[in-house]
Amino acid sequence: MADLKIEGLVKRFGEVRAVDDVSIHVADGEFVTLLGPSGCGKSTTLAAVAGLDRPDAGRITVGGKVYFDGSRGTYLPPEARGCGLVFQSYALWPHMTVADNVAFPLTLRKVKAAERKRRIAEVLALVEMEPYADRYPHMLSGGQQQRVALARTLVYQPSILLLDEPLSNLDAKLRDRARTWLAELRTRLGLTTIYVTHDQIEALSLSDRIVVMNGGRIAQLGTPQDIYERPADPFVADFIGTTNFLPARVAAVAGGAATLELADGQRVDIAAERPPESGAQVMLAFRPEQMRVAASGEGATPDGSVITARVLSRSYVGGRWQVGLDLGGGPLRLEIETPPHADAVRLWLPRSGCILFRGAANAAA
Amino acid sequence: MSNAIAEPGAAAAPGRFRREVPIQYGMAALVVVLVAAPLVPILYQSFLTGALYDHDARLTLGNFARLAQTDGFGTVLWNTFLLAALSTIVAQVFGTAAAILFGRTDLPGARVLGELFLWPIYLSALVLSFGWYSIYGPAGYITLFWQSILGEAPWNLYSIGGMAVIAGVSQAPLAYLYCLSSAGMTDPTLEEAARVSGAGTFRTLWRITLPLMMPAIAYSAVLNFTIGLELLSVPLIFGEPAGVTVLTTFLYNISATSPRPDHGLVATAAALMLVVIVFLVWLQGRLLGNTRRFVTLGGKATRPRPFRLGGLRWPLFAACVAYVVLTGVAPIGMLVLRAFTSFLSPMVPLVDVLTLENFEILWREPVYARSITNSFVVSLVGAAGATALIGMIALIVHRSEFRFRNALHYTALFPRAIPGVVAGIGFFYAFALLPGLGGIRNSIWILVIAFTMRFIPTGLGAVAPMLLQVSPDLDRAARVQGADWWTTTRRIMAPLMRPALVACYTILFISFFKEYSTAIFLFAPGSEVIGTALLQTWVQGEVGVVASLAAIQVVVIAVCITTARTIFGVKLHG
Repeated sequence: MADLKIEGLVKRFGEVRAVDDVSIHVADGEFVTLLGPSGCGKSTTLAAVAGLDRPDAGRITVGGKVYFDGSRGTYLPPEARGCGLVFQSYALWPHMTVADNVAFPLTLRKVKAAERKRRIAEVLALVEMEPYADRYPHMLSGGQQQRVALARTLVYQPSILLLDEPLSNLDAKLRDRARTWLAELRTRLGLTTIYVTHDQIEALSLSDRIVVMNGGRIAQLGTPQDIYERPADPFVADFIGTTNFLPARVAAVAGGAATLELADGQRVDIAAERPPESGAQVMLAFRPEQMRVAASGEGATPDGSVITARVLSRSYVGGRWQVGLDLGGGPLRLEIETPPHADAVRLWLPRSGCILFRGAANAAA
Repeated sequence: MSNAIAEPGAAAAPGRFRREVPIQYGMAALVVVLVAAPLVPILYQSFLTGALYDHDARLTLGNFARLAQTDGFGTVLWNTFLLAALSTIVAQVFGTAAAILFGRTDLPGARVLGELFLWPIYLSALVLSFGWYSIYGPAGYITLFWQSILGEAPWNLYSIGGMAVIAGVSQAPLAYLYCLSSAGMTDPTLEEAARVSGAGTFRTLWRITLPLMMPAIAYSAVLNFTIGLELLSVPLIFGEPAGVTVLTTFLYNISATSPRPDHGLVATAAALMLVVIVFLVWLQGRLLGNTRRFVTLGGKATRPRPFRLGGLRWPLFAACVAYVVLTGVAPIGMLVLRAFTSFLSPMVPLVDVLTLENFEILWREPVYARSITNSFVVSLVGAAGATALIGMIALIVHRSEFRFRNALHYTALFPRAIPGVVAGIGFFYAFALLPGLGGIRNSIWILVIAFTMRFIPTGLGAVAPMLLQVSPDLDRAARVQGADWWTTTRRIMAPLMRPALVACYTILFISFFKEYSTAIFLFAPGSEVIGTALLQTWVQGEVGVVASLAAIQVVVIAVCITTARTIFGVKLHG
């Protein structure tokens, strides 16, 4: 096991910089997730670590061993790196049984037959696939294939483990189970792991730290709590969880708080450590669970503000109602248990916990 | 997990010797030598005053002027163009019509008719020519039959028109396959939209289906025009006796059959032909786009709703049956029948002339027996070697980080632009030029080498699409786990490519088995193959022997195709 250092990594495809100056340090035994929409450069970064793609610049070292150094022209082929990579497609060789698939990396390392057999049994037991050793991959379900793919990677004790969207080919229920299983396995093995996904739930529940990527760059790097509660920019706020954005103008600033004026003139009080100057255009971001329908007669308190929104649509989604609102010209969606009967609904918004982003950038797009 | 692991991490030490380097460079060098071998001597010879191996030869541009001034050379060029153009028209009309009728309508028996329509593609134009001769020739079965009832037959195979029909029929399957695959890829809702908006069957076919096929028609037209220019057998059999010479027969006359060939002239004419074909192949590439260059007929997931032919259903069926019978089944059938008879005429009862004598001659005369054995050796062994070579080329081009893989790809596809006659002349020079290769020159191995070079693109066309369907993750997984390129190739890719290699071997076996145009410049006494024996025997007028040799060729190819299809499930349309 070892730590992974990525410094100033750049990978171009033609004119496009798929990975643009990315630096990440993953500590020994740490589980780090690369999270982002498709095309953000997360898989390209992973491929560069595994040695499948040669980057254009930067440096990658694992446990002091230099995998790639653009300035010195060092480039280890994938077979000389000793990474473990689980593919999104699992990439089980269809002409080999489960046992043969798992045996392949051991044969390459000239492990003796008896030892090989013991380790295959051990790793198949670890992923609970022992009874399937003589099956061919096409006879297995998606979840089972995924376990075999993991076993094939773990059997040679890779220096780091790379997982490329390993759960994305499973259906929703199986994915939940596989995620729980993966979380247990990760605690048991303690391998240095890079996990690539576009699923925020996987990222939040599995990772020690998350790297949110956007357009080839790191948008934010932090613990799951950091990322969720203190997103660095509107992109991260929007990508992680559901976020509502309200364009507003700073009307007044007073000691760690700001009064915002929405487009239709309504006012909201917000706590902010470093509020922008009065008159600035801002974007107010908050999670749906932070907002609730105000009780009748409830007014603004020091803890929160009450604002009125126009009801545009209501639709029943099973046990709950989804209500489309218009708040000062901006769209807003709310899920509540009893549908509003009036054309307008009063909403309560807490004073703290919301986030202000500078500028009127259209982050929700 | 375990503490008994002595060697964590990588299987391969960094900085070790990378054995893929010599393998990949070696293969690339081999392909370059193979492809350059016939080209360089021809181009060089075309600028020399004397023979290539003559030390007195000097560089000159005079060959081009001499060629231009050769008597009748203008006529030769015009005939070549006319034959290629007419045969292309015939092929496109029949091929397109067949694609629409068999592929898009409710014509009865469309599948069987489609299979029969394809038959000429599996046979050489040479054998098809003999078949046509046996029924439409001056003493052909149908010709005589017609004459006995209606008087003078209105057709004459010994003319540009007659040759164009034979060549067109033998090339129509290509147009058919390309149009069919284009029809299969077209969104059927486009046609349905036209019909919903009120267009009838024939209007929809004419205004929607046919225009959508235009790219396929245009591409296969250029392909067929190219094949028409390269064609040797039909003009050799029907053109020469009538005094109609085209470029291929011109080349054949001034080199293979000439006692003292004028090498400068031969090479210059060959170079001219090469330039024209290279241009046409480049044009094909432009028309098709680079990726779809050697697309095979793909399986279709949803079959578009077939057009209803209504009252024309049975008349069109009759016409299609007539076409298939008259152009393919009857000529081949009659040729096979001729092999078992001493003489064939509508005036003589069949039982009186049945005999196995033709086959006895094949058995008795060493030259024929040898040509059959040689054909088998060349095809069985040669196709195996070529398949191995092509598999390696495909893996290096599509599945390696070899620095020159794109250049290798172009080089490997270049033989498409080398006509069979040019390849034959070129290899002849190449082996004449290099001392120490005399042993190969008079053996069948020169044929194996020349055939291999010629059919690399054909083989790649069979292997590459299937290889591209194998997920790259499968070899990447092996690489990440510590296998180097060569181990990955042997342990992972080779087993996964087995169906592709079987298909490639089958196609190459058939191609090698029926090849003649390259061979007639290269064979020597002792290294005859069926193709060369057919031509020689034809010249001697031994029609019965020709028919029996051709029958053997047809049967072997038929058995080979059936086996490949039923046992290995190989798809052969390339």
